[in-house]
Amino acid sequence: MPNNSEYNKVSVLVVGAGPAGLATAIQLRVLRPDIDVCVIDKALDLGNHNLSGAVLEKEPLHSLLDAAKPDWRETPEAKDVLANVIDKDDIMFLLGKKMSFNIFWALKMARSMGIGWGQMIHHGDYSLSISKLTKWLGSIAREKGVEVLTGFAADHVVLDGAGTAAGVKLIDQGVNKEGHKQPNYVEGETIEATFVVLAEGCDGLVTERFVEAAGLKRESHQLYSLGVKELIKVTPEQYANFSRGRVVHAMGYPIWTPVIGPGMFGGGIVYAGAEDNLAVGMIVGLDWKYRNFNAQDALVRLKEHRYIKPFIEGGTVVEAGAKMIPEGGWYAVPRDPHTGSIGKGNVMILGDSAGFVNMLKIKGLHNAIDSGIQAARAIVTCMDKPEGAARRYTDNVESSNIAKEMKIAKNSRHTIAKFGPLQGMPLSVLGGWLPKFKVEPDYEMMTTAPYRLKPNQNFDKDTFTAVAATAHREEEPSHLTILDRTICETKCTPVYGSPCITFCPAGVYETIHGEVKPANPSNCLHCKTCQRKCPFDNIRWTAPEGGGGPRYKRM
Amino acid sequence: MSDYIVLVKQVPDVSQITDNAFDPETGTLVRSRLANVVNELDAQALAFARYMKQISGDAKARIIALTMGPPMAEEVLRYSLARAADQVVLLTDRALGGADTWATANPLAYAIRRIVKEILHCGDDYFVVAGMQSVDGDTAQVPGQIAEELQLPCIAYATGAEYKKKRFEFTRIISGGSQTVATRKMPAVITVAKYEYPLFATFAGTRWANKVDVVKWGADDINATHIGAKGSKTAVIRVFPPGKSTRKCQEVKDVKSLAKIIVESFKSGNGEGGKADEGPGPYVLPARRKSLLERPYEATKKEQDDYDILTAILKEMEIADAAKLDDATKDKVVEKAGGAFHKKALEDMIGGFGLVEPAFKGEVWVVAEHSGDGVIHPATFELTGKARELADSLETKVGVCIAGDNVAHMAEELIAAGADHIYAIEHKLLKEFDPTAYRKAVSDAIDKYVPQIVLYAATPQGRMLAPMVSYKTGCGLTADCTGLDIRDSSRKGDIGLLLQTRPALGGNVMATIRTKNSKSQMATARPGVMKRIPADPKRKGKVIKHKVELTDEDVSLDIIRTELGSGQVNFGAEAIVSGGKGMQSRDGFDRLLHMLCAEMSRKLDTAVEYGASRAAVEQGFVERVHQVGQTGTAVGPKLYVAIGISGAIQHMIGVANTETIVAINSDPNAPIFRQCDYYIVGTAEDVVPDLVQALDNM
Repeated sequence: MPNNSEYNKVSVLVVGAGPAGLATAIQLRVLRPDIDVCVIDKALDLGNHNLSGAVLEKEPLHSLLDAAKPDWRETPEAKDVLANVIDKDDIMFLLGKKMSFNIFWALKMARSMGIGWGQMIHHGDYSLSISKLTKWLGSIAREKGVEVLTGFAADHVVLDGAGTAAGVKLIDQGVNKEGHKQPNYVEGETIEATFVVLAEGCDGLVTERFVEAAGLKRESHQLYSLGVKELIKVTPEQYANFSRGRVVHAMGYPIWTPVIGPGMFGGGIVYAGAEDNLAVGMIVGLDWKYRNFNAQDALVRLKEHRYIKPFIEGGTVVEAGAKMIPEGGWYAVPRDPHTGSIGKGNVMILGDSAGFVNMLKIKGLHNAIDSGIQAARAIVTCMDKPEGAARRYTDNVESSNIAKEMKIAKNSRHTIAKFGPLQGMPLSVLGGWLPKFKVEPDYEMMTTAPYRLKPNQNFDKDTFTAVAATAHREEEPSHLTILDRTICETKCTPVYGSPCITFCPAGVYETIHGEVKPANPSNCLHCKTCQRKCPFDNIRWTAPEGGGGPRYKRM
Repeated sequence: MSDYIVLVKQVPDVSQITDNAFDPETGTLVRSRLANVVNELDAQALAFARYMKQISGDAKARIIALTMGPPMAEEVLRYSLARAADQVVLLTDRALGGADTWATANPLAYAIRRIVKEILHCGDDYFVVAGMQSVDGDTAQVPGQIAEELQLPCIAYATGAEYKKKRFEFTRIISGGSQTVATRKMPAVITVAKYEYPLFATFAGTRWANKVDVVKWGADDINATHIGAKGSKTAVIRVFPPGKSTRKCQEVKDVKSLAKIIVESFKSGNGEGGKADEGPGPYVLPARRKSLLERPYEATKKEQDDYDILTAILKEMEIADAAKLDDATKDKVVEKAGGAFHKKALEDMIGGFGLVEPAFKGEVWVVAEHSGDGVIHPATFELTGKARELADSLETKVGVCIAGDNVAHMAEELIAAGADHIYAIEHKLLKEFDPTAYRKAVSDAIDKYVPQIVLYAATPQGRMLAPMVSYKTGCGLTADCTGLDIRDSSRKGDIGLLLQTRPALGGNVMATIRTKNSKSQMATARPGVMKRIPADPKRKGKVIKHKVELTDEDVSLDIIRTELGSGQVNFGAEAIVSGGKGMQSRDGFDRLLHMLCAEMSRKLDTAVEYGASRAAVEQGFVERVHQVGQTGTAVGPKLYVAIGISGAIQHMIGVANTETIVAINSDPNAPIFRQCDYYIVGTAEDVVPDLVQALDNM
């Protein structure tokens, strides 16, 4: 058996094997093949916890691959993962259950006038599966000598006395529901690392704990959206009819209707996958105000809209999932209040963990990869002074395309959060010229108002989680905690009717003997909506044992 | 100090079957499209070995993981290294591929010999620990066959171990209960049926594991005697998707009708059970057919189709004696067949017309299972029923081999159930079931009388005994069959073969298998699938006493304790009643379920187990061991009664193999009503007591 002190040490530890983390690792080995780098991920296998639309701008990925694997274009993986190049961009406005208007012309006009929303045109981008992209990047990383280890969930960054990170502590495994150690108990190891890269994705547990422990601040609250998505197998004719290079973005029904409401931010998507699969999704801003709203319900309505239905009618849902998107933009990036660094000392925060989603483009994947490249460059220049890495990384980001485009988009989501979709949408085109607005966290927007449309009968969360292939060890302690039970009993249930039971896409929350509980933690999809939308901020999500969670393969 | 050799296998992940894993043409599950994982029970075996090491306080004991498979099977060895193994050996060679259990056990046993000699240098002090069975093959045969090759005792289906007075005591599952045993000799083979605490990988262990050099041996490194497809004693001749059972979804309006349905569907069953598609009726030997040109019982569809085409052509050409065809006529026949077969195949088929004699000779045997105090296991009667049908087709006798201390008195009952000859092996050392002693007794009789077919019940005892006997007698063995038919493979010169059909890959595919290179065709048959024939007390038969020499040396295990029918969950029961959230309370759950179970058990004359949905377990109505479904236990009884269960997909997957599903639910829109055979709308509190009453009144 191994000598632990030797194997628990690594120069660069990346938390999260998504596009950002893997880009860091790959770029690092391109620049310095002698540096040892480990990437850990809580998912059972590469790509299992990655979910996105996804539309990807070519640029940062191409430059990463060109450097790492010059012949990448010829590989079967490239031909599979990057098969769909967007050549048809439909932006639809849906009015009621039947009407639809294509408003692509408006975007084109915006583009020609140089107005922000013009950036939403995706022509020439890839539409792809982020799970498959991640799996591929992981295999490239391994080829480059990176140790990519899945099934390891991290708990927190271990800080030394001087305020720099000594490493990362993993979670304990083998505890039973009552909290007792089982015969197979393993205490979470502490991995010593010279550099720590936090690339966990949206609302990362380790990142958020680090932000708090290291005193990082956001100029403005992070704002979230919840995306729910189904991959639907359709007939070859339906697939050909839709065409693989097409993306459909739909605004309006069922989450927003001018004047009469409901007034939620977001929209629907239909993208082409591979093998006659179409991805249909619904993205809804977490600042919705309806106590009984559920995003999957909106997805069902979207699927039944007269414009969308023919694409997928008669199809079978083969995979499904849910995930949050950080939409707060540039103002919501966590920074050291003194130096402005995104991260601190030898700890860098990347991709969705930092919040590099450009809301004018409604894309963030390219920035995630770019931030990985910038982090790798920073590490290489700071080999002798690791404590300067975060500042160096931040400088790199500031002078990169990330900062450039994020600054232009910095106000778009905030304007909508502040003024609502009706007034906010047109105002947001003024983009960077507007002042910063003060916005409240999403959970504070919850009201006692009910969603206007009657809830759908024919939607089953159990089936949804079954095709998401989510599983956790049944006997492990619940990784979801309600902080204060009395709040549920006295303030939430009587007034709001326990919204968590409705909005959780996995049906984790249930009333048992009159008490609201995370009764089915093993169904959890790791979207973390509960900890950001509980109206009393009364739920906390922690990492379950490594390997638990959904097993996305084509999302 | 004992060392441990743990057998691990890489298997396709049958818990994660995606829509694209099926061949669109044939509907068959394609193994290569599934992800590869370590066999779950082998992961438990690894943890079990480490647990044994721990409780014996032997810090120096070594754990060696061994696997046989393609080069990528290395992954499961790294899995083992990251958790407990000190060293690993990968047996990989193209020549080893395509092996059945015989040709898997044989090279693994030779590899174990080499590990003991060259790596462990531990003499006789080691355990071979393996999962009870693999999820892809589901045979549970390899460990027993390894034990036989190495001449070691085998403790199958272990669920626990204790270390007392410097030796291990193992708890294991036996038919209808559990038993605590110790091995009399070392080394020994242990197969693990359940150990709840599989090990977690550590970060450091995983990194180390990825850097260890894996010892790789090929066929030439171990000098095994039977390897690959060539060394196998069975061959898969056909793979096909299991028949999709279509649920009836009939609403029942009153409890009286429901009671009637429960009794009737249990007695008759839907008869699905994943059997091969309907054949041409009972097999008839060629000599009994109107013409030797009749070939309606070919083993595969292709063979059957070709013969159908050929006989049609011969009829059209008015050829009565195919043996005398000249070359030109043969060419003409091939041409008429329009490319269905070429000339060589035609000649083989013509050769087949001349065949009359069956490939195997001898009786059709059943190895009986009994409790030791005169009670014959119900599965034995199912087998005698099947054996009767097979023997009648083959025009031979049914023999039942029964071993024990005092067994001859059970002959009458067996003869009434269809047996002609009872081979009674009586010896005081056979009083309790000891695998090694029983194996010796039964093989001895088989060697002497050479039956053409030997059937065992796929019970814990049968699945332990059969592999050892098959290996000892040099015969192929197919596990857990759900279909047994006699067919010809005339083209290949084989008449009257036993075709053995069984589910594989967790029930996701069906495979039809034939025996080869063996003097007898052996199979274990799944209890509850074959039909017993009504007992006929007037039937005549003969008892033949077979003497066997046994000494204390032949007994391998000390039986310390046997517990039958304790509070364990018996999900092998033919009828299961499950409760869900609709049971309202723990009290209601207990009262109503027990009431119904007891009444059904009485009425149907069978053990009725009770189960629960996940929701009921979460509500605290019942212990988790009773949970049925994807995350609990998958069950496949003849009759499943679901009360107050909504029908979440996770639950329904776990009952997919059930013949008849009856649902009781108060919600008229409950999804379970679309996935069951019969349903009644009503609360458990209203329906169950009335149903019990109605059953009682019948």
